[in-house]
Amino acid sequence: MKRIQDVSEEEIKDLYYPTMCKVTKARQITSMEKWYELEMPASQDLGHGPGQFVEVSAFGIGEAPISISSSPSQKGSFELCIRQVGTLTNVLKNYGEGDSIGIRGPFGTGYPMESLLGKDILIIAGGIGLVPLRSLIHYVLDKREEFGRLIILYGAKNPSELLFKEELSDWEARDDVELHLTVDQADDTWTGNTGVITTLIPELDLNLNMTIAAITGPPIMYKFVIMSLKSKQLQDDHIYVSLERRMKCGVGKCGHCQINGVYCCQDGPVFNYSDIKPLREAL
Amino acid sequence: MECYSLLRTDVPDLIDHLGAYGEIVAPHSKGDVSYSFEVVQDSNKVVLDYDRTLLPLKKMFLPPQEKLMDFSLKSLSYTPIKLHIKPRVFFAIHSYEMQSILRLDHSMLSGQAESNYLRRRKKSRFIGISFKPDEFHFSESVGIPIEEMEGFDLYLNEVDGDYQLYVLTKNGHSLIEGFEKIKTAEPEIAEDRKFNKKIRFHYNRLPQVFQYAYHSEIWAEVASRCVGCGSCTLTCPTCFCFDVKDEVTVTAESGMRQRSWDSCMLSTFAEIAGGENFREKTINRTRHRLYRKFKYITDEEGLPWCVGCGRCTAFCPAEISLPDILNDLINEDEKAQHHHQVMA
Ligand SMILES: Cc1cc2nc3c(=O)[nH]c(=O)nc-3n(C[C@H](O)[C@H](O)[C@H](O)COP(=O)(O)OP(=O)(O)OC[C@H]3O[C@@H](n4cnc5c(N)ncnc54)[C@H](O)[C@@H]3O)c2cc1C
Ligand code: SF4
Ligand code: SF4
Ligand code: FES
Repeated sequence: MKRIQDVSEEEIKDLYYPTMCKVTKARQITSMEKWYELEMPASQDLGHGPGQFVEVSAFGIGEAPISISSSPSQKGSFELCIRQVGTLTNVLKNYGEGDSIGIRGPFGTGYPMESLLGKDILIIAGGIGLVPLRSLIHYVLDKREEFGRLIILYGAKNPSELLFKEELSDWEARDDVELHLTVDQADDTWTGNTGVITTLIPELDLNLNMTIAAITGPPIMYKFVIMSLKSKQLQDDHIYVSLERRMKCGVGKCGHCQINGVYCCQDGPVFNYSDIKPLREAL
Repeated sequence: MECYSLLRTDVPDLIDHLGAYGEIVAPHSKGDVSYSFEVVQDSNKVVLDYDRTLLPLKKMFLPPQEKLMDFSLKSLSYTPIKLHIKPRVFFAIHSYEMQSILRLDHSMLSGQAESNYLRRRKKSRFIGISFKPDEFHFSESVGIPIEEMEGFDLYLNEVDGDYQLYVLTKNGHSLIEGFEKIKTAEPEIAEDRKFNKKIRFHYNRLPQVFQYAYHSEIWAEVASRCVGCGSCTLTCPTCFCFDVKDEVTVTAESGMRQRSWDSCMLSTFAEIAGGENFREKTINRTRHRLYRKFKYITDEEGLPWCVGCGRCTAFCPAEISLPDILNDLINEDEKAQHHHQVMA
């Protein structure tokens, strides 16, 4: 038990005050998502790891947890990508170059990068799930020789919802990235795979001992993707998931993000599947 | 341990004496049947015999509503709130209430310490008092006897209508320095104060019961009666969940960010944008509340996170009784064990 005597008043750090960051670039990249590049004051580094998130403030509305989409290896700025789904995210749509946005964080537990070194990284992203995983992808690309294969499975509802299209073409063109795209509903322009993301898994040729899978997507996706990976005999502890929950504080105090006995904002949002498998309310 | 005798009629003088340290917070009558922790204006108004206050003492450390910042929508900037906390003495506190503060300490100070909580908590002094359990108290069943003195600086034990004053800490000692209406005494055993409400198992067996209770049909039965008002969590001394909201003035030029108590029993508590709700049904929420009290934290800290104050039961409009749920789960567990043995 933590006791009052164990904490001195000198240690007090206020938890709820945002740091104002400048928007240096912003672009609406699909009909629903806007991408932002931000700078911390005095060119500080955000100091995050792949998989972590920040609380983004819009005064008058509140805060929302948003994943950091850029790699920590990118210095001097960081990136967010926000889907407009409600009150706050629609207000953020009006923010552009030169505006200031309040940020708290980085928060949460991201990917254990040390133990991923040398491994084959299998990214499985559904929809907006690419946003947090993009931080991991860029990290691996920036330190390409420190990792094995980089396999990216990415699915969207339809071609127009695919995020970061230019980057997708770059990755497609590289011979050290294996990119597999799919859409639920094709249109006239689409020549690629059609079907849900799990349809991409059976044909994968994986080195089971070497492969680490990182999955992020809508809640419904996890069970099916994990089932497919299990049928390929990938071990539980080789699988990471990033989970979304309602969050108000980001620092383990408000209680909103609890999954059974764990706090998504502290113990997650990135979890090793073997750790959350016993939790009945995780997936 | 120093022990003194103190006449009931001299308690107001003791309260006045304590005023030298700081503000005094003590139970007061509120209407005919309810009690409330309030700042003492007149020491004669303090109530020494009370069953329980409606709101727990946590309200003095985590206020029901608290401004976190002022902001300007014109300049898109904010001004932090500077807290100025006076030293405070919490007077006539029951043992379960003190134990709830020790649990809140853990919840609020683990990981990154909650700054406002810590500031409010640091200069506090606590003076306990014995009580007569009513039909709702069951703190003894969760390991907290009436005379549990952990956390207190001083403790008033009622003996034959008057009090014995125990000095438990150095701080307690300096609080009563110069107070002359006490006499050195030998500690006496108080008359038997029995709990009417009991949990059938020792509290350290409850995590085991909860281990197998997840799919029990008892949850659905309880949920069918629950109206989802959230009173049980708002009056619970160890519940701490909060919401954060911005409020804007009518001119829409400025506003404030405020946090307020929230409840995992309310239907939208775990809902996210797009409509996904991770505890959509009442049964999910009822179960979560009890697992938070007897399993999740308990597995790690070895203590029930319920202190047996009886509030959630006493103030539930649907008369849902927490100890009754526990005893039902225990009965079910025993039946299953028995069945198991017969089969084996
Ligand atoms: C760890 C994490 C990372 C995320 N990363 C991204 C990202 O990179 N890009 C992105 O577009 N979205 C991300 N989200 C989802 C994003 O936080 C929600 O879409 C956003 O909070 C919705 O707010 P709103 O006011 O626009 O929606 P509304 O539906 O208007 O919100 C209503 C209320 O619900 C609350 N709420 C709704 N959804 C959430 C949620 N998921 N978490 C917390 N509170 C919520 C809001 O605070 C508000 O009080 C992430 C969520 C989590 C938990
Ligand atoms: S006080 Fe009773 S009715 Fe209200 S939410 Fe709690 S259990 Fe349900
Ligand atoms: S769960 Fe009920 S009895 Fe236990 S501490 Fe909370 S309000 Fe009191
Ligand atoms: S978001 Fe507040 S506790 Fe996790």
